[in-house]
Amino acid sequence: MKKVEICIIKERCKGCGICVEVCQTNVLELSEELNSQGYRTPHVKNPEECLNCGMCEMFCADFAIWVITKAEEVGA
Amino acid sequence: MIRSSIEKYHPADSFLHADSFPSVWCPGCGIGTAVYAFIEAIKEENIGPRKIGVVSGIGCTGKVTECLKLKTYSVTDGNVVDYAVQLKKKNKNLTVAVFLNNADFLLSGAKDFIEAGKRGVNLIVIYVNNFICPISENKVFPITPFMRMSIDNEFELPFNIPHLAKSCGAGYIARWTPIHAGWMKYSLIEAISKKDFSVIEVVSPCLIYNANDGRIQDAIDRMNFYNDNSVMKNEEPTENLDLRSQNKVIIGKFVDSEEKAGRIQR
Repeated sequence: MKKVEICIIKERCKGCGICVEVCQTNVLELSEELNSQGYRTPHVKNPEECLNCGMCEMFCADFAIWVITKAEEVGA
Repeated sequence: MIRSSIEKYHPADSFLHADSFPSVWCPGCGIGTAVYAFIEAIKEENIGPRKIGVVSGIGCTGKVTECLKLKTYSVTDGNVVDYAVQLKKKNKNLTVAVFLNNADFLLSGAKDFIEAGKRGVNLIVIYVNNFICPISENKVFPITPFMRMSIDNEFELPFNIPHLAKSCGAGYIARWTPIHAGWMKYSLIEAISKKDFSVIEVVSPCLIYNANDGRIQDAIDRMNFYNDNSVMKNEEPTENLDLRSQNKVIIGKFVDSEEKAGRIQR
């Protein structure tokens, strides 16, 4: 299984929590710390269980979260 | 936000102005998901950023052109489809998409929509239907949901948009909600490759105005509401698609017609 990395730009996030809700394996969690706009942003709780389904990337309306595989990162 | 302060780049960042994020839409709005599906469809079809024109008008969907790094045009209320038709007529190689909302479409621009459908102009119309029209917040407007009272205690029946588009002569009609973003993406790919007038309705939640009934307040509750209350029925006759008399929203691809014989391709 490929190793994946979840990237989050916290300054773009608005804290709607949809990425936490759609994740099937409970990788993400809303954290207690706030960003500069005052929203609670998600953070990665257990990255080993990520299936790279891309649902969090699809439902994020602010383009703040995405998933890359490690092989892609090396190639880029 | 200054672009140099971001270390990592989203895969869609080559189509976006990074300065315009965080965007103006409310958390949980469906317009951002529609924009994501549109960008994914462009990437899938391998169309360059200078080969796509996007036109939008006023209101929340008018902000779509501010964040896209394509050939974008933001025009006045009611002239959106008219402007897009002229743009397509002068530039035959450009793929033109239009983002509409209720104020642009049903209040002031419906005549241009009907005429463009009649002539079969090769346009992609993405109509974001969120059941609000803030100009007439207290009055009845063309898309007021059934049994939702206004201040005058009047109620009317809302429009059946897919049936209207089919009677105008549209060649591709589909309806999705933001929950079905994957299907929306494939629907947009089919609409881009189709050489006909294609209409995609996105039934989207509005968190500010529709939350006033006191039942649903949160973004996740609103998305769950659309997840539970939607049924997929492909190739359903468009007469049954009105949003008033049934409990569930019917989604799917309704019309995918062949190119009509004897019609002038524009």
